[in-house]
Amino acid sequence: MILEKIFSHGRKERQVTEDIERHIQLLCKACEIFKDALERNDRNLMYEVVGLEREADAVRRDVISHIYEGAFLPYIRPDLCKFVEIVDEVFDALKDTAFFSLDYELPEALRDESTRVALLNFRMCELLLISFEAMIRGEDLREKILGIRIYEKKIDDMKLILLKDAEQVPVVSFWEGKKLSDLLTGLTMVSDFIEDASDHLQIINVSTR
Amino acid sequence: MWKVLSGVFLGWSLGANDSANIFGTGYATGLVKYRTAIWLTAVFLMIGAVLEGPKCMEVVGDLSNLTAIDAFYCALAGAITMTALTIFAIPASCSQAIIGAVLGAGILSSTADFSKLYKIVACWVFTPICALFTAYLLHRILGFVINKTITSLTKRSLLYSAGILLTGCYGAYTLGANNVANVTGIYVGCGVLSADVAALIGGLSIALGVLTYSRKVMETVGKGIVPLDPFSALVAVLAEALSLHLFTQIGVPVSSSQAIVGAVVGVGLVGDVQTVSLKMLARIGVGWIMTPVSGGVLAYLFIRVMT
Repeated sequence: MILEKIFSHGRKERQVTEDIERHIQLLCKACEIFKDALERNDRNLMYEVVGLEREADAVRRDVISHIYEGAFLPYIRPDLCKFVEIVDEVFDALKDTAFFSLDYELPEALRDESTRVALLNFRMCELLLISFEAMIRGEDLREKILGIRIYEKKIDDMKLILLKDAEQVPVVSFWEGKKLSDLLTGLTMVSDFIEDASDHLQIINVSTR
Repeated sequence: MWKVLSGVFLGWSLGANDSANIFGTGYATGLVKYRTAIWLTAVFLMIGAVLEGPKCMEVVGDLSNLTAIDAFYCALAGAITMTALTIFAIPASCSQAIIGAVLGAGILSSTADFSKLYKIVACWVFTPICALFTAYLLHRILGFVINKTITSLTKRSLLYSAGILLTGCYGAYTLGANNVANVTGIYVGCGVLSADVAALIGGLSIALGVLTYSRKVMETVGKGIVPLDPFSALVAVLAEALSLHLFTQIGVPVSSSQAIVGAVVGVGLVGDVQTVSLKMLARIGVGWIMTPVSGGVLAYLFIRVMT
C-alpha cells in the first residue's frame, strides 16, 4: 500500500485533486447559470442547474471512493471528504433554490437585488476554486479566505434589504408567502455553505503544515 | 543450551511490546498494513541485531560473574518483571529489568560490579532527555526546511508516506542493535554464547515476538500517538531511533519506550501542546525504580531458592 503510493508518484492524489477541481468548477458553472436564469427568468436554464447537481453528485462519489482507495495520508482523508461533502451541500442548496424559483416566480421588485446575490455567490465559488488550487500548491490562503468572508458579509447585509423589500410584496396566501420566504432563504444560504467550505480548506491547509 | 530459553522468552516479550514504538502510528492510521509493519520491523531488527548488537553485549555481561544457570534465572526474572509491569501499564524497560536482575544475582554471589552502574544509570536518565531534545530540534529544523521547499500537498503527502516507512525501518534497525544485548548479553558474559551467536539468537527471538504477538500493543500505542500529525509522528520515531543509535555507539542498552515518550514530549513542546501528562511522567519515574528493583529481587530469589 505504502510502496504503491510512493512509486506511483502521487497518481491517486492527482486524480483526487483533479476531481475536486472539477467538482468546484461545476459549482461555479451552476452558480453562473443560476444567476443568468434568475436575471432572464429562464426556466430552461433553471433545469440546467438541477442537471449539474446530478453530475456533481457522480463526481463527489468518485472523489470519495478514490480518497479511500489510498490517496493522501489517512490523517487528512476525513477532512478532504468533509470538504467535498460541504461543497455538495452548496449544490443541494442551489438545487433547492432552483426548484423554489421554478415553483414560484420571483417578483420583479426583488429580481435585481436577488440577481446581485446570485452574482456574489458565483464570485465566491470562483474564489473557492482559486483557494483550493492554492491549497494544493501549499500557498497561504488567508487573503483568499478573507475575500470569501467579505463576500459572505455583503450577502448577509443584502439579505436584510431583500427581506425588507419582500415585506412590500403583496402576498395572497400562506403558501405563496412561504414559497417567497423559502426562495430568499435558499438564495442567501448558499453563501453560508461556501464560507463553511473555505473555512474547512483553511483547516486542511493548517493541519498539513 | 536450554538455558538460553529464558532469554528467548525475554526477547519474545520485548519484540511483542516494543515493536509498537516503531510502526504503531503508521499502522493505526492505516498507512502501513499490519503484515507489512511486522515484517519490515522483523527484518530490519535482525539486521541491526547482527550488525551492531554485539556493541552493547559487554556492558550487560560484565556487571557480575554469572554462571550459565544464573544467567537463565536472570533472563527469566527480567521477562517476568517486564510482563508484570506491562500488566500494570507501567512503561517497563527491558534493559532496566535485566540489569537489575544481573545485579541481584551478583549481590548473591558477591560479584556485582557497581562501578559500571553509574554509566548505565546515566544513560537511562538521558535516554528520554536525549530523545526530547533531538525531537525538538528535528521538528524545528526539518519543519523549517520542508515548509520552505515542499509546499505541494501531494508532494508532502508522498514525503510523509516515504518518511514514515524509512524512519520505521531505521527505528527497527536501532531497536535490534541496542536491545538485543538485553536479551542474550548475559549469556556472552558467562561464556555460553559468543557475541555474534548471541546477537543472532536474540535478534531472532525479538523478531519472533514482533511477528507473533505485537498487534494488540501496536493498536494501543498507535492509537495513543495518532493525535500527533504525520510530520510530528515521523519526527518522534526518528528522534527515538537516533537516540537508540547514539546509546548503541556508547555501548549501553536503553529503553525504546522511554525514548519514544521523551520524543513525543519534545514534539509537543514545539507546538506548545501537552502530549504527555504528569501522571504519565510519574509512571515512568515509578518504572525507573520498580523495574530494576523487581528484576533484582526476583533473580535473587530464583537463584537462592532454585540452586
